[in-house]
Parts: sequence; C-alpha cells; structure tokens
Amino acid sequence: MSPSALEPTAGSAPATGTGLGVAPQPMMTVRNVERHFEGMRAVDGVSIDILPGRITGLIGPNGAGKSTLLAVLAGTLPASGGTVTFDGTDITEWPAWRRARHGMIRTFQLPSEFAELTVLENLLVAAPNHRGESLRGALLGRRYWIADERREVARARELLARFSLSAKESEYAGSLSGGQKRLIEIMRALMLQPRLLLLDEPMSGVHPSIIGEIARYLEGLRDGGLTILIVEHELHMIERLCNPVIVMAQGKVIGQGSMIELRRQREIVDAYLVG
Amino acid sequence: MTYYLTTLGVYAGVDIIACLALNLQFGVSGIVNFSFIVFQAAGAYTAAVLALPPDSQNGGFQHYVFGAQLPFPIPWIAAAVVGGVLSVPVGLVVLRHLRVDYQAIAMLVLSVIANLVITNARPFLNGAAGLSLVPQPLSDRFNAYSPTYLWAYVAVTFVCCALVFFVSQRIVKSPYGRTLRAMREHELAVTALGKNPVVLKMTIFVVGGVIAGLSGAILVGFITIWAPSTWLYPETLILFAAVIVGGRGNNWGALFGAALVPVGFEEATRYLPQFGPPGLVPALQWVAIGLLIIGFLWFRPKGVLPEKPGRFAAATPVVGARLTKEPGVS
Repeated sequence: MSPSALEPTAGSAPATGTGLGVAPQPMMTVRNVERHFEGMRAVDGVSIDILPGRITGLIGPNGAGKSTLLAVLAGTLPASGGTVTFDGTDITEWPAWRRARHGMIRTFQLPSEFAELTVLENLLVAAPNHRGESLRGALLGRRYWIADERREVARARELLARFSLSAKESEYAGSLSGGQKRLIEIMRALMLQPRLLLLDEPMSGVHPSIIGEIARYLEGLRDGGLTILIVEHELHMIERLCNPVIVMAQGKVIGQGSMIELRRQREIVDAYLVG
Repeated sequence: MTYYLTTLGVYAGVDIIACLALNLQFGVSGIVNFSFIVFQAAGAYTAAVLALPPDSQNGGFQHYVFGAQLPFPIPWIAAAVVGGVLSVPVGLVVLRHLRVDYQAIAMLVLSVIANLVITNARPFLNGAAGLSLVPQPLSDRFNAYSPTYLWAYVAVTFVCCALVFFVSQRIVKSPYGRTLRAMREHELAVTALGKNPVVLKMTIFVVGGVIAGLSGAILVGFITIWAPSTWLYPETLILFAAVIVGGRGNNWGALFGAALVPVGFEEATRYLPQFGPPGLVPALQWVAIGLLIIGFLWFRPKGVLPEKPGRFAAATPVVGARLTKEPGVS
C-alpha cells in the first residue's frame, strides 16, 4: 500500500495502491473532475482510478458529492471541468447513452424500474443490438426480429433464474418490493454485458434480509471479472465488498484505501467513519 | 340522412386515425403533444392547396399559395409528408432539451401561435375565412354528391384507418414499442441503458405527424372547407380525452376512445335541449369533456381498455433447453 493512497488526492493524480500488490491498469481514470451548480461545487477537482475486476466503494456523508460524481462518470450529468477516460478513450463529452453502449452502465439512487412493464420486459428493454428496436425493424414485422427476441428472452430468463426471480417475470415491475426492484436494475444492466457497473446506493430502502442477497450477487459478479463502482451508506457491506474504498467530503476525495486502512486515519474517521 | 351518416363515418374514421397517432406519441411514448391539431391542420391545408386550382381562377374571393390542382392521391400523400416534415423542426426544438412538462407548454403555445399566424396572414391560406370549395378526390370523374361516392369515401377512410391501425400495432407490439414505453416510464433509465432518447422521440413524433397530416387530408377532402376555427387548440384536448378514456398505450383503446369521445360523446351532447343564455350548452360540452378527463384520470387512469403487457411463451424448466414455443411479444 502506497502511503500516498491515504492522502487527499483532490486536484492531483491519485494513488492507485490498494494494498493488493501491483495495481493493474485502471479501467477508468478520472482527473480533476468538477461539477458546479450555480457556483456550488458539488464535485471539486476529483481524481480517482477505477481498477478492473474489483468493487470500488465510494463513501462519504450526505452531500459529499458521491452521487453527483457517479452521475458525471455515467454521463447523466455533464462535467463542469476535468477529464474522464474509459479504456484509454476520453469520454468526457460523450452523452450517457453512448457511454452505456461502450460498456458503462449505471443504476440510480431511487428505484428506476419501468413500472408499467413486466419484469421480463424490463430486462428485454436493455437488450443491445436488437433488430426490432428501430422503427424500420418494427415496421418490417415480427419475422424480421423474432430470432433476436428469442435469443434475448432466453438470456433474460437465465438472469432471472440466477437472481431467483423467475416466478416474477410476468408481474409488473412497479408492483415489486424495493429490494426486487434493485435486483431488476442490476439484471437490466447485466443484459448489456457491461464492463463497468456504476451502482448508486443499491441497498438503500432495501429490507435487511435482501441486503445480504444483493451483496452475494455483487461478489459473484466481481468474481466473474466485472468491475463495479458502488456508492453506499451501508458501511459493513462496503467493508465486505469493496477494496479500494474512496472517501469523499464536500465534493473532494479525502482518502482512499481499504476500510481497515481508512479507519486508521483520524481526519476520515472524524469526517465520516464515526464509530 | 345519407349525408349525416357518411359525415359521421368520415369524422369517426378521421378521429380514429388521429387518436391512433396521438396514442403513439402520448399513450406509448409519453410525448404530451398539445399541438397535435397543428399537424392535422398542416395536412389539411396542404391537401387543399394542392387540390385547388390557382386562386386567380376562382374570382379572387380567396387567396392562397400554390393552387396546384394536382390529382388524387397526390394531395393526400403530400399532406402526410408535410405532417412528417413539419414534425422535424418542432421536435428538434421541443423534444431535445425540455422536460416533459415544459414540452407540453411549448406544444400548447405552438398550437396557439400557429393558429394566430394563419388567421392573420391572409395571402398565405386565406386567413380567418379559410379555404373553401376544395375539390373532393376524383370529383372530376364521379358525382361527389351521390350517395355512392359518399359511402365510397367512408370506405376509403376506413381503409386508411385499417392501414394506420396495422402500422400502429406493428410499432406497439415490437421491441421498438417496448423501448418507447420504457422511455415513457423513465427516460433517464432508458438513456443509461444505451438508448438515444432524442432518436426515439423524434422517430415516433414524425410518425405521428405523418398520420396526423393524412387525417387532415381525408377530412378536408370530404368537408371541402378548412379554416383556423376548425383547428383551435381545444380540438387536441378532445383527442387527449379520447386516448385517456379509451386506454393510453393500447391501440384498441385509442380506437374505442375515438368512437366514444369525439364521435359518440360530442354527437350525444349535440342533442341536448338548449337552455340558458346563448353559448351555454356548447360551453357545457367542454365542461363535460374536462370532467370526463379528470374523472378517468382519478378513478380509472388506465382507461377503459388498459395497455396490455407483452406476453411471452412459457419458459422451459431447464435453463438453456429448447423453448417449447417461440417466445416473443404477442
């Protein structure tokens, strides 16, 4: 673990040491990213690296700028300054839909299920490169796209089985519990076979019994090689899942490392890790 | 009686076509197009000026541009094209950056402004007096006032209805329609799944514009007049009422709503006994339509025939095994 990893990195190149030996090439590099709202600096010169095949945690008190940073990384909010590079490509100016097609999928802080679509339809919406998804494809008729539909329905059902939600496939997504809606969002993202998953508080509003389940699924995804950035307040889950963990306060990164290392830092404990 | 019934038939057909178009835009895609009637009017004016002779030939009692005197079906095709083409600049201005509520306001304002401009720019489309003596399709070959012609016109209108219904069903039942419904539910989430919402909105907005233009052409070809007073913005609200009452997102609902609200409801209230000061009963008609919308949104927001979810063939118990039936939306 590089000592610099425990130092504030705002405005400078971040340390990539995480206590895991030689760090691989980052999948995403964020340099001096800013996001202002009429003079208020919600994200203020953040520089971080997202390493492949790991779950990176992003924590901090309310108003720290975590969700704003995640939105900027996903392209749902434009950056006011700085650069975001994904797989060596500068994507700072890319809109959200283009980033998603490039393999970077986000979920939202509030449930974002398509309430009046069934669970299976929710997953099928995410299917990439479907022949029936254009106006032309629709007008050409079912024969033109049915092969793609068959393939995607099979994929969606596999995912539903993996997440133990097969019995719910015909129910409206809006009728599900908070935890099940979170799982739908994650499955929907997985339909796109992402390379980087950005999760915004996936455990918030979820029954405690389902939190452990979600954590288990995320571990499985990580073990399968998926890179995940997760904003979360459930610190025991962050401790279980994430390494490294990045701490933000007042729009800046105030430290990063493993949770054990972060707990040793007085300023971080004072700022956030109370108790 | 024949004229009444055929007029009712053509109005029903035109309203069905218009409601199907509005259902694609509003019911399926969530675009609150309060300027829908403008696109119908654009189609009607286009068909009219392309069918009419030059304005110098009619004694100069009305002034308008073109007067191309083109044979049927060119005016109808051109009307559909103009409805679609007009949707492009409107859509690019309104649908790209504005939030849904502001989109609705912008559309409403556009509808009012368009009507005012056409009313006051007399040399363009004869201003408030509007266009009259628009030649009926093929009236040079057939007696346009014979019952046979009138019923044939109704038949052609319903063929167009069937065609529009077929296209609408293809869209709604396809993966494209599913994505539009998802966009209606949560646009940002659809964007985050790699879908370009501007492309999605623009394509369905243009499709709606094409169909609206066609509906205007069919109507003006039958009633032979078209003026700003026929396409005031409240006309759009009647179509919205039809889609909401019928069942937004469901083409059968749009069809049912069109038959129930603009045709059935308006016709039924037409025969109410007159009472109170002049204009009270027509005003009460509007109040009744407003109450109908509020009532349905409050008590039955999904309408009489709610949108149906996509149905898929049952999965086989073993993952990866061959499916017993072809899955797919139906």
